[in-house]
Amino acid sequence: MELNSGAFERFAVKFQKGDLIFCEFEPGDSFYLIQQGRVQISKVMGNLEKTIDILQPGEIFGEMAILEEAPRSANAIALDAVKALEFNRENFEILMRGNPQIALKLLKLFTKRVYDQRRRFMILTLDDVSAKVADVFLMLNEMKTPDNLESDERVFHTTPEDVAHWAGISPEKARDVIQHFSSQRRIELLTDRIVVKNINEFVRFVNSRRRQVS
Amino acid sequence: MPKPINYKANSVIYFRGDMGDKIYILKGGRISLNSNDIETGQEIHDQIQTGEFFGVKSAMGKYPREETALVLTDASVIAFTVPEFEELVAKNTRVIMKMLKVFSTQLRRMHAKVSSLLSQDADSDPEEGLYRIGEYYLRKKEYSKARYAFNKYLTYYPAGRFHKDANQFAQTAEAYLLKYGSGKGPAAVGLAQSPHATESGGSPKEGAGSSGGGGLSNAAQKYYDAVSTFSRQQYSEALSVFKEIASSADDEEYVVKALFEIGRCLFTMNQFDGAIKHFTNFVQHYPKSPELKDALFYVGQSYQQKGESERAKSFYTKILSMEPVEDGLKRKVQKAVRSLEEGA
Repeated sequence: MELNSGAFERFAVKFQKGDLIFCEFEPGDSFYLIQQGRVQISKVMGNLEKTIDILQPGEIFGEMAILEEAPRSANAIALDAVKALEFNRENFEILMRGNPQIALKLLKLFTKRVYDQRRRFMILTLDDVSAKVADVFLMLNEMKTPDNLESDERVFHTTPEDVAHWAGISPEKARDVIQHFSSQRRIELLTDRIVVKNINEFVRFVNSRRRQVS
Repeated sequence: MPKPINYKANSVIYFRGDMGDKIYILKGGRISLNSNDIETGQEIHDQIQTGEFFGVKSAMGKYPREETALVLTDASVIAFTVPEFEELVAKNTRVIMKMLKVFSTQLRRMHAKVSSLLSQDADSDPEEGLYRIGEYYLRKKEYSKARYAFNKYLTYYPAGRFHKDANQFAQTAEAYLLKYGSGKGPAAVGLAQSPHATESGGSPKEGAGSSGGGGLSNAAQKYYDAVSTFSRQQYSEALSVFKEIASSADDEEYVVKALFEIGRCLFTMNQFDGAIKHFTNFVQHYPKSPELKDALFYVGQSYQQKGESERAKSFYTKILSMEPVEDGLKRKVQKAVRSLEEGA
């Protein structure tokens, strides 16, 4: 990432390969702009660690800390020797002022975060647990470009645990609901993926439940 | 090119749910953004100010419009594509900052709403969450990550529900990291035995004033503190603590460990003559130390740094002849030999 001078050197921090930069649930008050190396974003779920993203130089992470000192929502791990600039609420304006490209990047990131949170909120406000689960699949469907638009069938490389996380319900409950959908042949649960037989039927189902709410 | 467009009263620029890649700025007239509150379903009407941008988030994020842009009186706007918009604001950080503030307020509000819904459910206890992450990494033998998580736990919850275990496991992680390296050694969590059951020798004394019931001796406690000082690259501070332990004769095992670390400090601080002298002495006094081959390696490295390749090589050769050589060390030595050959 090109910055306009060495003026930001004083914000530079280094991590060794394999270091935890921060971990989930830790209160966070700073965010990072990667200058060298890659950063893996992961979440521990039960006995598994799931990679959510791998970030490259020029990318920003931990940005939610600008808002409030909320617990981190994921782990950040140095995949290589990583050099990053570390900022907090107090000093990030200094960075932004001289670097519109970074400010724009942050703006885009926030755009996406607002949408993600809003979408998640819509799932959580559904009263019906089955509708919550179905809506998680709709959200995941919106996030990807379908392989085959002609077909109503959608394949998701996800697990009941992930679905539980998004729906804000327990993994057991998520599994129950998915089993039930499976017995109705609306869903096929496989070890590495979940197939939704008719995504449009899920759209109609969720919409009908949403109308009852409002 | 940004395009000026005029709209008649009561026309609609875009509907909620539309996909659109245009960002607009209002030049004159009145436009209202109509939406429904996602919580209450209540109608919201937001009037755009002259000079204000709208449609930014959905165009930049490539997702459906969240509101309907309704023209109240005849209005003129300028429409930008996303790249045009980016080019425009890139010259004016003040505009971006202003938007960042608007978006971050929205984000904060949404975030709080989502969190309040989630906190009704059980699995959002950050204290337990942090502790479980430490456990997870310890189970996976990723000791440095485990150490990080447990230490964070102890920082934020010094009297928390899991502080005893966290304290003990933090020390276990530290000890295993040094002893075995990441990915090796026993996995400690879930075993009933004391995590230090594998640490032989050294009569454990009560660590008076030590932070927890880990059962480590004073010397051991000091030693691990100094090791973490070393890992924070505060070498001279670490060095003086290691020297203290070495001269205390308190706990033989840790005296030897500290002596080894003194050499490592000297080497890391580029005091190669000092390191050679120290490690040579160490090897003579403690020929049975498990660190013997590592000590020889540092002697070799020190000579190599001093440019005395032949001497360095003789130490590397010697290590490789002392079977069995632990894999990690063997690789390091072989690598050093290659670097000598390439340099020659």
